[in-house]
Amino acid sequence: MEMTKYRDNGQFCSGHVACAGCAEALSMRVILNAVGEDTVGVVAPSCTAVILGGHPMSSAKIPVLHGTLESAAASASGVKRALKAQGRDDTTVLCLAGDGGTYDIGLQALSSAAERNEDILYVCFDNEGYMNTGGQKSSSTPHMATTGSTPLGKATHKKNLIEILAAHRIPYIATASPSHLSDLAAKVEKAKSIRGTKVIIVLIPCLPGWGVADNAAVKTARLAVEAGAFPLLEIEDGVHYSLTVAEKTRPIDAYLAEQKRYRRLSDEDRAALQSEVDDAWSRLLARAGKDLNA
Amino acid sequence: MNKHPSPLWTHLTSENRMTGTWRSALPNYQNQPSPCLGACPVHGHIAEWIKQVKDGDVYGAWVTLTENNPFPAIAGRICHHPCESACNRQHMDETVGICSLERFVGDTALAEGWQFSAPPTQETSVAVIGGGPAGLSAAYQLRRRGFRVALYETKDELGGLMRFGIPAYRLARSVLDGEINRITAMGVDLHLGVPAVDGAALETLQNSHDAVFLATGASLPKRLPALDYANPWVVDSADFLAAPVSEQTDRTGARVIVIGGGSAAMDVARSARRLGRSVTVLALEPEGRLPAQRIEVEEAVEEGVNFVHGAMMKSAEALGSGVVLNCVRVDFEPGDAPGAFSVEPLDGSDFELMADTIIPAIGQDADLARWSGVLDAKGPVVATGRDWQTSKPGLYAGGDVASMNRFVTQAVGMGKEAATAIAAALTPGDARPPANGAAQVAYDRINIAYHDTHGRNRQRNTEIEARLATFDEVQQPLGPNEARSEAARCFSCGTCIYCDNCYFYCPDMAITKLENGYVVNSDYCKGCGLCVAECPTGSIHMREDTSS
Ligand SMILES: Cc1cc2nc3c(=O)[nH]c(=O)nc-3n(C[C@H](O)[C@H](O)[C@H](O)COP(=O)(O)OP(=O)(O)OC[C@H]3O[C@@H](n4cnc5c(N)ncnc54)[C@H](O)[C@@H]3O)c2cc1C
Ligand SMILES: Cc1ncc(C[n+]2csc(CCOP(=O)(O)OP(=O)(O)O)c2C)c(N)n1
Ligand code: SF4
Ligand code: SF4
Ligand code: SF4
Ligand SMILES: [Mg+2]
Repeated sequence: MEMTKYRDNGQFCSGHVACAGCAEALSMRVILNAVGEDTVGVVAPSCTAVILGGHPMSSAKIPVLHGTLESAAASASGVKRALKAQGRDDTTVLCLAGDGGTYDIGLQALSSAAERNEDILYVCFDNEGYMNTGGQKSSSTPHMATTGSTPLGKATHKKNLIEILAAHRIPYIATASPSHLSDLAAKVEKAKSIRGTKVIIVLIPCLPGWGVADNAAVKTARLAVEAGAFPLLEIEDGVHYSLTVAEKTRPIDAYLAEQKRYRRLSDEDRAALQSEVDDAWSRLLARAGKDLNA
Repeated sequence: MNKHPSPLWTHLTSENRMTGTWRSALPNYQNQPSPCLGACPVHGHIAEWIKQVKDGDVYGAWVTLTENNPFPAIAGRICHHPCESACNRQHMDETVGICSLERFVGDTALAEGWQFSAPPTQETSVAVIGGGPAGLSAAYQLRRRGFRVALYETKDELGGLMRFGIPAYRLARSVLDGEINRITAMGVDLHLGVPAVDGAALETLQNSHDAVFLATGASLPKRLPALDYANPWVVDSADFLAAPVSEQTDRTGARVIVIGGGSAAMDVARSARRLGRSVTVLALEPEGRLPAQRIEVEEAVEEGVNFVHGAMMKSAEALGSGVVLNCVRVDFEPGDAPGAFSVEPLDGSDFELMADTIIPAIGQDADLARWSGVLDAKGPVVATGRDWQTSKPGLYAGGDVASMNRFVTQAVGMGKEAATAIAAALTPGDARPPANGAAQVAYDRINIAYHDTHGRNRQRNTEIEARLATFDEVQQPLGPNEARSEAARCFSCGTCIYCDNCYFYCPDMAITKLENGYVVNSDYCKGCGLCVAECPTGSIHMREDTSS
């Protein structure tokens, strides 16, 4: 594997209040520096809001508008249009939200913005639950994972937001991981160069929410990628799929073992999750291979 | 003034918040010894010089290597390489070919003619007795520090068992000469072909020098009581290996039986095969348990050496133009000490072997009789205390004469340690640096996500037929590209490679890059340990921090 490399121009500041070892803060560091200083942030209530804010202090060197949980994408659309009206069309509008604010409560606003192909870069920090409010399930919580509101493990599957977004035929969708920071930086830069709605979903192993050790968020994310549980990919115009990491190189066990939220699994449960991953992976390969609508 | 394109709506930065107060542990940058270094008899900085090879700086690698060992081309061929058995990489795929890389560096230095520089000679002078690896290593380390060195050797040539034991097909004489000449070129006062130094001569040398290092090796062959060495068909292995090929040919008949299962026995057997002899090795140990290294046995088998395992000779007598060996099968029990064993003959298992020449190769003893009344002995070797000092102050001893660790690099290591101690004793106010007490870097400290799986780049042997026709070297070197690729397999355990991973993975921007390293900002570090977890080399660790 290649060593890590990205630019850090000091766009994200020390002294923020993310948990020690937080992969969301780490990813934020990469994203804010990749997107550059000619940017306005729009943030939904989430861990990100806490990490960036606490008025009058800010850890970001860009102006940030704190919106509501339902409306991040709508607010971002408005900010972009206002900037355009001022003749500042080149300024990037970076919308940051959690999975609760994306898969659930903000989905309507995001879908509408995507349908209008608003020129925003939308980043979803997917920690698979409502985490800053204490760890409740969201529709992104995966099958069998425990949360405060699914103490026996979630009975249903993680919503496939990627396919929902692809159905909107927006110019760019990508997934990224804090274990692959150079890739994350490259995807942000690529997204920034594209006009229209761009969405990047970053997997964030939440230390308290998933029951991961303080030093293990990156390792956990890496295991997710290697096991194919969180494939790294890009989708252009909703149809051109390409896999950033083209192979899955290990079973899911080590990934599950790193997290307390899967502590209760039986051998059959683990086998069931493995076959879910295998099925999803084959569907993905088929899509990446087909590329029919070229 | 705000130079940002959009005005900041907040007026204070989070940098006013000292998140360092949350912390209970702080990362600590500390290069730590690699397991290979711990196992290396000369304590070579393996991680460091392999990194230099990887970066294409072979000269730098040679300089690093030769701080501890003046014989990289020799060691790269015949070292028993305990470093490789300790290498962390074996837990991922295969050990790093440290020895083959050492040979690459050593051969490059010889080809390029790189030389050692020595400071001008001081008045303080040290006598070295014995010109094998132990004596030469000490002479080298002492000359590097500017001491005058006088070396006394009974033979006309230097090298000890590297020349008169190890056959040329394992260690080409041009290589041996090249690495030895480079040491003598530093200005060593050579006394070759002198009478064997004895107790009286030792006294004289102690009076005329400031210190003496005794490195006379283990020169007495052990003898088999059941064998009359006066018979023309008995040839001792040490004499056989020391003799030129013409003499080896004259002294052996068509059928050779070698008695013993160690490295020397393999060297005798394989040399005799090169003379066209049919060769059988008779060993006490059962198959697979010979004291010789496995690879030596394999190569002997490839070269057509026969083995009779788990048996011993009871007697031998002339029969017609040949010899008959009366043998019996034995039960072999290893003892507690290395090399110790007991054997029980098995009733009714007698058998005979026919031969023309018997070459016993059952080991060598230090010539303790020579030093009796002069130096204390400890078991089979000259007694030494801390720093290899003998019972006589100012007289140090190392190598085979003082230790049962009988390998070339062990001898080199002892020579280095004794020389360092001598230098310290002769230099007023020279405090020796304290030993680095840091623990070796364990495999679980290496983040293997940054190291791709890649099998070892192997050296090849020449074809078996070609091998048997000459005493040319069997093992062929790695090419430059293979060497670079092999060097790239090294994890650099405990040696920072300045990859910046720790810097890039900190979620709190608490690591600053300096000109040559990194510093942790304790105002902000929350002590998460991500930097440590993502270090590919194990060069940082978390240390408890009670300061805040
Ligand atoms: C056949 C054989 C093969 C071996 N193969 C290997 C191998 O592959 N790898 C490995 O690591 N090790 C090998 N060894 C072991 C290794 O060679 C020895 O451990 C090593 O050479 C010991 O070094 P030394 O300097 O202590 O002694 P030596 O190499 O024995 O050198 C001692 C020197 O002192 C001289 N000397 C002796 N007495 C006197 C005296 N009284 N006055 C002056 N000079 C004197 C001798 O002539 C000799 O030159 C082998 C040994 C043998 C016998
Ligand atoms: C409509 C609405 N309901 C509830 C809340 C309270 N709330 C604030 S943040 C949050 C959790 C958001 O979860 P997610 O978007 O996944 O972000 P995370 O905290 O996991 O980063 C909730 C429920 C709110 N702000 N608005
Ligand atoms: S990987 Fe390199 S540094 Fe680590 S033990 Fe092996 S040779 Fe030594
Ligand atoms: S990653 Fe940063 S915050 Fe965490 S221990 Fe290292 S220096 Fe401290
Ligand atoms: S992460 Fe890289 S730069 Fe940092 S200590 Fe480890 S080897 Fe050195
Ligand atoms: Mg969430």
